[in-house]
Amino acid sequence: MSKKLIVLFLGLVPLLCTCFSPDTPSDRRVLVLLDDFAIKSSHSIFFNNLKSRGFDLDFKLADDPTISLQRYGQYLYDALILFSPTIERFGGSIDAAAILDFVDSGHDLIVAANGNASDLIREIATECGVDFDEDSSALVIDHSGYAVSATEGDHTLIASDDFIKSDVILGSEKIKAPVLFQGIGHSLNPSNSLVLKVLSASPSAYSANPKSKLTSPPSLTGTSMSLVSVVQARNNARILISGSLSMFSNRFFRSDVQKAGSPTKHDKSGNEQFVTELSKWVFHERGHLKAVNVKHHKVGEVDEPAIYRINDDLEYSVEIYEWSGKTWEPYVANDVQVQFYMMSPYVLKTLSTDNKGYYFTAFKVPDVYGVFQFKVEYERLGYTSLSLSKQIPVRPFRHNEYERFIPAAYPYYGAAFSMMAGFFIFTAVHLYHK
Amino acid sequence: MLLLPRMSSNLARLLLLLLFAFSICDAVALPGPISDRHRSAALELFAPQHGSFASLEESYEALRIFEILAVREKPDVRATTCPKVLENLVSSTPLKDLFYALKVNGILKCKVNGDIFKDIASRLKATVKDAKTLVDLYYSIGSLLLIKDQASDVDVLLADADGTFHSIKALSQSDGKWRYTDKPESSTYAAGLALEALAGVITLASSEIDQSRVNLVKNDILKLFDSIEKYDDGTFYFDEKLVGGHEHQGSISTTSSVVRGVFAFAAVTSGKINLPGDKILGLAKFFLGIGIPGDAKDLFNQIESLALLESNRISIPLILSLPASVYSLSNKDKLKVRVNTVLGSAAPPLTVKLVRAFSTVAKDSAVIQNKDLKYDQNSGHHVLDVLPDEVDVGIYVFVFEMVLHDADGEKVYATGGQIHVPIYVTGIVKVSNAEIAVLDNDLGSIETQKTLDLAGNDIVSLSANHLQKFRFSFQLTTPRGHAFKPHQAFLKLKHETKYEHIFVVGNAGKKFEIVLDFLGLVEKFYYLSGRYDIELTVGDAVMENSFLRPLGHLELDLPEAPTSKAPRLPPLAVDPYTRYGPKAEITHLFRTPEKRPPTQLSLIFLSLTLLPLIGFLVGLLRLGVNLRNFPSSAAPATYAILFHLGIAAVLVLYVLFWLKLDLFTTLKTTALLGVFLLFVGHRILSHLATTSAKLKSA
Amino acid sequence: MARSTSKDAQDLFRALWSAYSATPTNLKIIDLYVMYAVFTALIQVVYMAMVGSFPFNSFLSGVLSCVGTAVLAVCLRIQVNKENKEFKDLAPERAFADFVLCNLVLHLVIMNFLG
Repeated sequence: MSKKLIVLFLGLVPLLCTCFSPDTPSDRRVLVLLDDFAIKSSHSIFFNNLKSRGFDLDFKLADDPTISLQRYGQYLYDALILFSPTIERFGGSIDAAAILDFVDSGHDLIVAANGNASDLIREIATECGVDFDEDSSALVIDHSGYAVSATEGDHTLIASDDFIKSDVILGSEKIKAPVLFQGIGHSLNPSNSLVLKVLSASPSAYSANPKSKLTSPPSLTGTSMSLVSVVQARNNARILISGSLSMFSNRFFRSDVQKAGSPTKHDKSGNEQFVTELSKWVFHERGHLKAVNVKHHKVGEVDEPAIYRINDDLEYSVEIYEWSGKTWEPYVANDVQVQFYMMSPYVLKTLSTDNKGYYFTAFKVPDVYGVFQFKVEYERLGYTSLSLSKQIPVRPFRHNEYERFIPAAYPYYGAAFSMMAGFFIFTAVHLYHK
Repeated sequence: MLLLPRMSSNLARLLLLLLFAFSICDAVALPGPISDRHRSAALELFAPQHGSFASLEESYEALRIFEILAVREKPDVRATTCPKVLENLVSSTPLKDLFYALKVNGILKCKVNGDIFKDIASRLKATVKDAKTLVDLYYSIGSLLLIKDQASDVDVLLADADGTFHSIKALSQSDGKWRYTDKPESSTYAAGLALEALAGVITLASSEIDQSRVNLVKNDILKLFDSIEKYDDGTFYFDEKLVGGHEHQGSISTTSSVVRGVFAFAAVTSGKINLPGDKILGLAKFFLGIGIPGDAKDLFNQIESLALLESNRISIPLILSLPASVYSLSNKDKLKVRVNTVLGSAAPPLTVKLVRAFSTVAKDSAVIQNKDLKYDQNSGHHVLDVLPDEVDVGIYVFVFEMVLHDADGEKVYATGGQIHVPIYVTGIVKVSNAEIAVLDNDLGSIETQKTLDLAGNDIVSLSANHLQKFRFSFQLTTPRGHAFKPHQAFLKLKHETKYEHIFVVGNAGKKFEIVLDFLGLVEKFYYLSGRYDIELTVGDAVMENSFLRPLGHLELDLPEAPTSKAPRLPPLAVDPYTRYGPKAEITHLFRTPEKRPPTQLSLIFLSLTLLPLIGFLVGLLRLGVNLRNFPSSAAPATYAILFHLGIAAVLVLYVLFWLKLDLFTTLKTTALLGVFLLFVGHRILSHLATTSAKLKSA
Repeated sequence: MARSTSKDAQDLFRALWSAYSATPTNLKIIDLYVMYAVFTALIQVVYMAMVGSFPFNSFLSGVLSCVGTAVLAVCLRIQVNKENKEFKDLAPERAFADFVLCNLVLHLVIMNFLG
């Protein structure tokens, strides 16, 4: 499944993202597909939060026959939210393939499933790299990490605090209260390098039907089971997949939470902070990098030469910015590296920075000649990947760039001139001696 | 035909809707009555911007909610809203704005001049006569009703009430729905509007409306309720398909419109409308089941409909709710039940009876039968003092019934008959007699056996090979001493390379035992020998002490994998934190230049090279070289000198070529000099030749 | 035996030396010239053996200059030697002219290759 994903993306990587403009990568128009308009009301805090950040939300029923993602080849929306776990077939011109094309063209997606998720939603999740439990009546149960509640006794409402350690995905402020979750779990294919577990289940959690006894061990257990995952595709489209739609609901946002076995009772669950920060990441308000102004030149010069000579000293600089949702802010890191590459890197250096987004370094051109590339391949957890490459040829010395008079050859010079002098004397002596 | 798939998908949607509000159980948990959470939600959703609300409709909704819920911290918008009301109380305003202005005035009671009312009333009466659409009729009749309440001296009675009644009734359909205009699309929402308008007409009629007509409308109401949609837990609601030309009304708006219409009509007619009590209770459950809506309009519809249900002439629903459905045997909790009206007020005197309670695994035998709950005056709860000893940990269904003290109350109140409530009784399950043993396969004899105290922290260390078996057993006992089978009883073996294997521990009565025969598991374990960590997880919904406990290690010795059938190890997850990271730096190693000799050595040899030249000169002198053959006469001498100068010039040219000239210049100059040399050389050499020939002949 | 061989060597050497003294002076000049060139070449070869052939082109150029000079001088000697019957009809000046021309060409090539 992940192989399918990889092939799908590799085949479409040349189709660079043409969705939002590269200058303002935040999404603007979002299509929200719901099973029922009651969801619009019961999840209103989440939607109002998105609206206050400047998104245009378009609410439609998932089987509304007038919905479509694109018209005449142009996409009508920049992002899609699927809050319709039970939908068997979408209305209008949307189907699983259309949604995957939407994502392949660089747009973002949020998918929420639930205990009665339909096969269609499961199929979409599988195409994105995430496998929900095949048992359709299974829910995530945790008898040691459930949320203490006077009304929910079957331990399917769990309080989870096993977050991914990434400030760019979850924000710099720590989420203190656990997150309430009630729904289905999923597993990630270990060979898929694009998908990340944002909220993992606790070691005692498992996925099973709470009403029937277990005869064989469940397929999803423990921390390898993920509750909320994100996928960052190679074209920098971001997908959020959550096994619980109620995680986004007003009721969970407002609820207090106490994890079983812990004495602290938090007045407000971490759901609102978690979902808000995650939605900021998914919609490219954080962690979206761009690299501009790649410059290289010989030390002491300003213009970019068309060709370098071996053993030249050169300087390379690049500017990297991060989109903050409204403007491009300088990106500060100390692990951006540049490679001087021809079939394999000859030089790999870490770029120094002035903390204002300007990265630079200087090195000596190797004494191998050929066509090299300046390659910056920057991939960090939660950040869009930067892949820059600039070709530059390197020539060997010209015949007149070598040492002119080699001290080691002085005897030979001396010999040659001595011969010439001797010749001249000889001619005189030979002719006029008697 | 088209309606059926719609309705089934609507059902599916409502299922979803309710699942958001409730947890997922067989018998759905009960929604509680309106609480303070609704009050704070009202304040949040209806917060005025800059001191006033966006529209008169919103102002009315806000003020009405604050009134119904008796919200104490409501914002005072009188100063900003009254002027707006007065602005709109003019004949020329559109009907809808006029309607809401009057509604707001009804609550705020702004100072309005009596003449204004007269003015508006006459216009409205004219509109009623000429109105063509249901919506216009609704607003005008409603406005007239409001004027009647606010200005008693104004004449608002309709002259031709019968005619108006007839024109509204004419828009009805046979299935109980109404049309908005002559166009054929019918709507349940419109039915609600029509019923409210008809109720208004009856109130405003100068002479009494014909009772037969009223009865026809009552029949329409009954037919409308035939199309009510329901869910299995007894919730009833109305839903609407898309009607062209009008805004799509969701289930909440539609149901509240019908509730408004039906109860308005019931309030003004004599005689009963025979709507079954369980449908009214179902409507109440629907509105309470929404929880706290996030949309202002939904909240208004919910609260207003519940207010109408609270006191109506047909049947008043009574809500039974439990503050908690999880009871702990160890904490000795008491079972508490509340009975309220929908808005949370006290119920009439009644007794809550626990008809029977049975366990979900043994549905036929009841553990409790026919117990009455005691009413506690201070807290308002009905309490079950003590759970009998037969009640052990587990999931039960308690069946409650409300018995009103006043026998006639059955007709006024809807109690809902027998109510099934799932109850979780939890307790501490005793874990004891934990034993781990390694057995020899064939003989069954024990090689090592250790006991463990699962409550403590001690761990064991064992070793085994593939010919042996591993046995682990323990006992689980409930607080009442019975056998207990938890939902989750897993034994996990984790290899140091992070491959895990999970087994379910089966039981026979109280004893849980698992035997792992390593001979058969060699392939499953991918032939990996080494240290395995053992972990036991036991958990259940009713077990208060569910645990995940590491038991220790097992050094397992498995045979080597056969090379022909080498097992393909499934890929392991890569830690994402180590996947990304900076690479090691590479600096190019430049080709070391050839070792040069020290400059001094070269200079020494330079001088050595020049030595032979000096030796040559010295040798020449020793040989007694002379220049006697140099021509004495002028012309040959000149040529001789020129010849040698020419040679010197060429040699100097060559040196210059080596220093800085390029080949082309050199060759050109050499060619020139060569020509010169040729000429001069020829001269001198021929002279020398003739001179020597002369000498020879002489 | 050893004594007679050394005595024979000495006698041989003396005979060679007296025979050589009889050659005309201009031929001796050419011989001296050749020796000079060969010595220069030998010194360069010793130097190269010590430090390696780094600027190989310079080495070749230097050695070739010496060797070429020696070769041309030998050719001149052959042509100028009156006792050489083969070149009886060739005027020595003509031989000298050839010698000068070849040397000039040789030195151009050497200068180009010296680097």
